[in-house]
Amino acid sequence: MIRNRLITRRSLLQTGAALSATTLAAPGILRAQDQYPARNIQIVVPTAEGGGADRNFRAFTQIWQKYLNTGFEPSYYPGASGRVGYEVFMGRHDADAYSLIFGNMGPEVLNWAMQMPDFSLDDYFYWGRVDVDPCVVFVGAESPFQTIDDIVEEGKKRQLTVGTSRMAHPASIGILSIGDATGAQFNLIPLAGGKGTVAGAVTGEVDFSVLTSGSVIAAGDAVRTLCVMGTNRVGERLNNAPEMNAHFNLDLPEMLSSRAFAIHRKAAEDFPERYAILQETFKQSFEDPELAVVYEESGGAPEYLSYGGPEECGEFAAAMLELGGKYKSLLSGA
Amino acid sequence: MDGTGSILLSVLWDTLGYWWVIVPSILLGLVVGGIPGFSAANTIIILLPLTLSMDLEMGLIFMISLYCAARMGAGIPAILVNIPGTAGAAATPLDGYPMSQQGRGQQALAISFVASVMGGLLTTLIAIAAMPILARVGFYMHSVEMIVVMLFGISLIASIAAQDLLKGLIAGFFGLMIGAIGTDTVYATPRGTFGLLELYDGVPLIPALVGLFAVSEAFIIIEKRLILTEEGAAAMAKPSWAASFEGVAITLKRWWHVVWTSILGLVIGVIPGAGASIASFVAYQQSRTFSKTPEKYGTGHPEGLIAPEAANNGVTSGTLVPLLVLGIPGGATAAIMLVVMQYHGVSFGPSLFQRNPDVAYGMFIAMAVAYVMMAFTIIPLSRYMSRVTTIPTIYLAPLIISFTLVGAFVPREYMFDMYLGLGFGVLGYIARKTGYHVAAILIGVILGPLLETYFLRALKIANGDIMVLFSSNIGNVLWVLLVLSLALPVVLDMKRRKQGVIV
Repeated sequence: MIRNRLITRRSLLQTGAALSATTLAAPGILRAQDQYPARNIQIVVPTAEGGGADRNFRAFTQIWQKYLNTGFEPSYYPGASGRVGYEVFMGRHDADAYSLIFGNMGPEVLNWAMQMPDFSLDDYFYWGRVDVDPCVVFVGAESPFQTIDDIVEEGKKRQLTVGTSRMAHPASIGILSIGDATGAQFNLIPLAGGKGTVAGAVTGEVDFSVLTSGSVIAAGDAVRTLCVMGTNRVGERLNNAPEMNAHFNLDLPEMLSSRAFAIHRKAAEDFPERYAILQETFKQSFEDPELAVVYEESGGAPEYLSYGGPEECGEFAAAMLELGGKYKSLLSGA
Repeated sequence: MDGTGSILLSVLWDTLGYWWVIVPSILLGLVVGGIPGFSAANTIIILLPLTLSMDLEMGLIFMISLYCAARMGAGIPAILVNIPGTAGAAATPLDGYPMSQQGRGQQALAISFVASVMGGLLTTLIAIAAMPILARVGFYMHSVEMIVVMLFGISLIASIAAQDLLKGLIAGFFGLMIGAIGTDTVYATPRGTFGLLELYDGVPLIPALVGLFAVSEAFIIIEKRLILTEEGAAAMAKPSWAASFEGVAITLKRWWHVVWTSILGLVIGVIPGAGASIASFVAYQQSRTFSKTPEKYGTGHPEGLIAPEAANNGVTSGTLVPLLVLGIPGGATAAIMLVVMQYHGVSFGPSLFQRNPDVAYGMFIAMAVAYVMMAFTIIPLSRYMSRVTTIPTIYLAPLIISFTLVGAFVPREYMFDMYLGLGFGVLGYIARKTGYHVAAILIGVILGPLLETYFLRALKIANGDIMVLFSSNIGNVLWVLLVLSLALPVVLDMKRRKQGVIV
């Protein structure tokens, strides 16, 4: 029997009903398909492009994008010792887990001890640590100082000038602690970022400088490292410099720059499934052997790669805030 | 032939093979340099993933060609419509724009191109030959010396104020006050920000540049039919290639002027932290000081155009010296180049020239090749570009305002910066209408924060002792030169008045 192919009233109504139902259900269907992440992740970097954080960020996200299956769009907000980036992130980016900040927990958390930001510190938290990079004491290749003991001895005779990227920095606390322990006198000179700090030591503008070791390694043989304010994980690349605690018989926490991703607390609470995906894929990236390769290619030291979750990050940030409170008068001029 | 010579030749041969990378990079660089807000640095950042995927040689050639062309491109709108594409071209319109108004835009462009190419090429060759000596410059230029270098640039305000001392100085001080907005460089304490986050990092340069020059200029030109004066319109009515050749000849005739101003740019470029804006202001000021006809500056005098253009292209090779020898990038673009080189496993320092001579010399060779190719690419275009000045302002002014306000937005992506650009535009318009020079304001905005940074640093190093300013021999020599360069025009002026040369 040949079926009637003409459109009947019944078939018209049936088709119309089906189409209407589909149309009404479409947002739901689309929502179901909206698997996180459906678009690129915005990353606020509170320092300038071309610096240590930039290199670090690019290397890490090269691997992370394989697991998170999306791209990362960095935007750079240097200025006011990193405060601008945080204020922008907290004030102008939606708390939807599509915006993260890639901060350097050491110096940037110290900022809050000097001057509180416009937002509550509880409104964001670090949840994914990428590396632990110890601060170092270093000199220009032509400096007369050959060892950290030379510096200490000279610092007992006269006040030495010390280049630092910004006053509120773990490296500043480290060198002030060495001064406290030995009686040497140091005058901190903020040189506006890593490049300026290296330049200060290399050109002899200051007697020596203190900075995150990654930036010092990147400066190659124009500089010489004399002391590591933590564990020397890279030996020769930091001129086999002695470690601060062992050398001066101190018991200080490691003075680290530690880069980590942070998220709005509201985003983690409102979108727990997205936060879980971020965490899971972040962790997977650390298990990828290619991570060390790209890190090395970007000029970083793979030895510094160190996974840390929200607990480790939280502990480190709290320790930095405490140290900042202790040294506030010296670091803020208050 | 020694080892270095054969390396240079082989690198040159390889670089020439990349002409297909160089030519598009040059064209891209000219475009991004010409639009305020776009620059070589942010273009390279955008294209960084592409650059990293190239091999090192190609990536560096691409970036360097773009960098040099952007520097030159920034001068084109500065000359034609009084809008510097970057702060490094802020001194270019002082004489370039009056030339355009007089219908000599084609000639002015040719002068700018030839001065840029000659300056860039010459300093590249000098940088190759005198690398170890140049690398030492950074060792002698500390905060104290930098303070005096800044003052050389700032003293251009005094030159500008020559026509009306009070107004010039008021404009300069006003600029310096605007430059003091932002967080202080020692303790990062906000000052004069009115709680606005957008001002924490100081008044952003591009909106100030765009507003003071472009937007205010657009307001001004709305009041007339053409950018050109009546005589200028008559001259532009019959354009000819001769005008371009005349521009080339004018520049070649002043070859010595190109040589010393570009070397000035090279030396300033070598100093870590200094840059094209300082170089072009200092070059303009020095050029005027030692000119036999200083009164012609600001009226469309070729030497006033040659000086900043030769100097800001001299800076391009200068910034590579601290990058390669000390591992310290001399500017934002050099910092991105550092990222690319590190990505490819190149480590820096004095021994780079032994370890990777092909990379170290290759960057300079690429720069030289780019400049030569630029000359052939761009000089013929000067005739067509100069026609911009014949577009009726009813079309031109809205285009200028919309393009430049987008340019103000681009670097930081704040809507605030567009409003700021408009605000500076109104300020610039009022300044022009009341006889204040916008360049004097801009010099304060650009150099003020730098001067403050070095001043506070020097004081901090000396524990607050102001005598630190006179504590270095080189610094003291620079102080004497500064005083001389300020006094010389006054003395010469008095002498001429006495002789009845001027009244």
